[in-house]
Amino acid sequence: MWTLVRQESFKLTRRVSTWVSTAFLVGIEIVFAFLSRVYPQTFVPANMFESLYFSRPIINFYMIAATATIITMEFQYGTMKQVLYRRYSRGQVLVSKWLAIFLYTLYWYVMSTGIALLMKALLFRHTLSIHQGAGDGMSIFTRGLAISAASFVSLWLLLSVVFLLANLFRNSAAAVSVGIIGYFASNIVTQLLTILIQKWDWAKWNPVTMTLYPSMLSHPGYYQPLLRMQGWQMLLGNVIYIAIFLGIGYYVFNKRNV
Amino acid sequence: MSSILSVQNLNKSFGNKHVLHDVSFDLKPGHIVGLVGPNGAGKSTLMKTMLGLFNYDSGSIKIAGETVTPQKHESLSKVGALIEYPGIYPFLTGWDHLQLFADGDHQLIHIQKIISQLNMDSFIKRKAKGYSLGMKQKLGIALALVNFPELVILDEPMNGLDPEATKELRDLIISESQHGTTFLISSHILSELQRLAQDLLIIDEGRIVQQTTMHELLASQGKQTIMLMTSDDKKTRQLLKKARFKTTPDPRVEVVATDDNTMPEVLRLLVEGGVDILDVTRLEGNLESSLLEVLKQSRIQKRLAEEEAE
Repeated sequence: MWTLVRQESFKLTRRVSTWVSTAFLVGIEIVFAFLSRVYPQTFVPANMFESLYFSRPIINFYMIAATATIITMEFQYGTMKQVLYRRYSRGQVLVSKWLAIFLYTLYWYVMSTGIALLMKALLFRHTLSIHQGAGDGMSIFTRGLAISAASFVSLWLLLSVVFLLANLFRNSAAAVSVGIIGYFASNIVTQLLTILIQKWDWAKWNPVTMTLYPSMLSHPGYYQPLLRMQGWQMLLGNVIYIAIFLGIGYYVFNKRNV
Repeated sequence: MSSILSVQNLNKSFGNKHVLHDVSFDLKPGHIVGLVGPNGAGKSTLMKTMLGLFNYDSGSIKIAGETVTPQKHESLSKVGALIEYPGIYPFLTGWDHLQLFADGDHQLIHIQKIISQLNMDSFIKRKAKGYSLGMKQKLGIALALVNFPELVILDEPMNGLDPEATKELRDLIISESQHGTTFLISSHILSELQRLAQDLLIIDEGRIVQQTTMHELLASQGKQTIMLMTSDDKKTRQLLKKARFKTTPDPRVEVVATDDNTMPEVLRLLVEGGVDILDVTRLEGNLESSLLEVLKQSRIQKRLAEEEAE
């Protein structure tokens, strides 16, 4: 299995886009750190640090694209046959792709958190203490980490859908489009969701609600009564939906002719 | 001798379309086997099913005694394959590809060996997106062979190869088969297959219509010919026609040898007719005409069987 994960990671590291997007993300973090330093009223340093200098939405887009292409490129380049007719089972091949994407997501989060800490140390050494309280008994730093963890989980909910669609359609455009729409959908339909949840309590268990997990951790006082959910319930919901979508994708991948 | 690949009563359908009918055969270690048949006969489907890419309805596929299914196929560690066209990642170099798919111990030695055997040194470190068709084909073959498997399945391996590369590949296949590697090769370049394959599997409409050796097939079809180079081809043709010898439509002078007496009779005729004979070559029957004859006979028999059944 680890041989397969290493092979998937090898392919990722050999793509120019991996390094161009890394440079772009680092650049974005530096730009927003400088903006926060120059215009602290507009780009509040504590909030900007918590948001990892605007890197999370960019990571989401990168990961949606990477997840779609890790499956569809094998069909596009005609390499899926070669990947499958080895001693490894289909299940192992797919799980290795999940693990490679999981490690790739970790890479982005660890890297962007590291750059955020570096920017804080370089530009806000005396003006921002990340250990100061940020409400709910958390410091700016721990709150930032909690939001990162929540967005990691809800990003994986989206990625599990993208994996499934990439499997079904062999086409990255469909998978990427649905992933991006899914990313914005939660914010767009929050009002509609709220109305539905107020009317039928069970409606809160739909997958779109689960993607609001990071927003709820950022503004618990606002989202908890609106969605009638606790943090642990959202975490559980996310994990269950991730398992369901990955499970369907696994079934489809095992059944299809290549 | 136990078989490296055993396919028994294999049936495969796509929806309502039954594409493989009770396919059964065994491949012996160290043999080069040609899989031949017309387009749509089921060659690629059969190869893909053997490689665990397709589910099948019934029957069994065993490689070195272990069953192969799309879900479970550990025995494919003994197999290398190139199916339809080589799958190439354009952002990787040829070397990266070989590194990616090389398994087990001594990977670097295996990679270096296959690169040198297929004469790929000049381009192996370049990104594959700039490769020509022939380079891609060579890389696909190298990927199939890099782990020096016991069984190699090649679908149209000569596609896009120049004569030099074709010869290199032929030499490599013969040399590896002498070391015990079994090859199953599907190709429409029958002249090339005729030079390589010892055994043949002839498939038509999803059925194995004949499993034979190359020698047996060519001999059974009685297609031996005698090719002549003479001082006067026109006069030669006239003499042969007058003596009622059967010639082929070939632009060269070719006489169909019906028995062992044909050669001396033809030579005597031409000498007595005053024609100088510059060269004589006995040609065995060719795979193309033999194959067409087998397919024709098999279809006739099938039609008769169907008519009888009605």
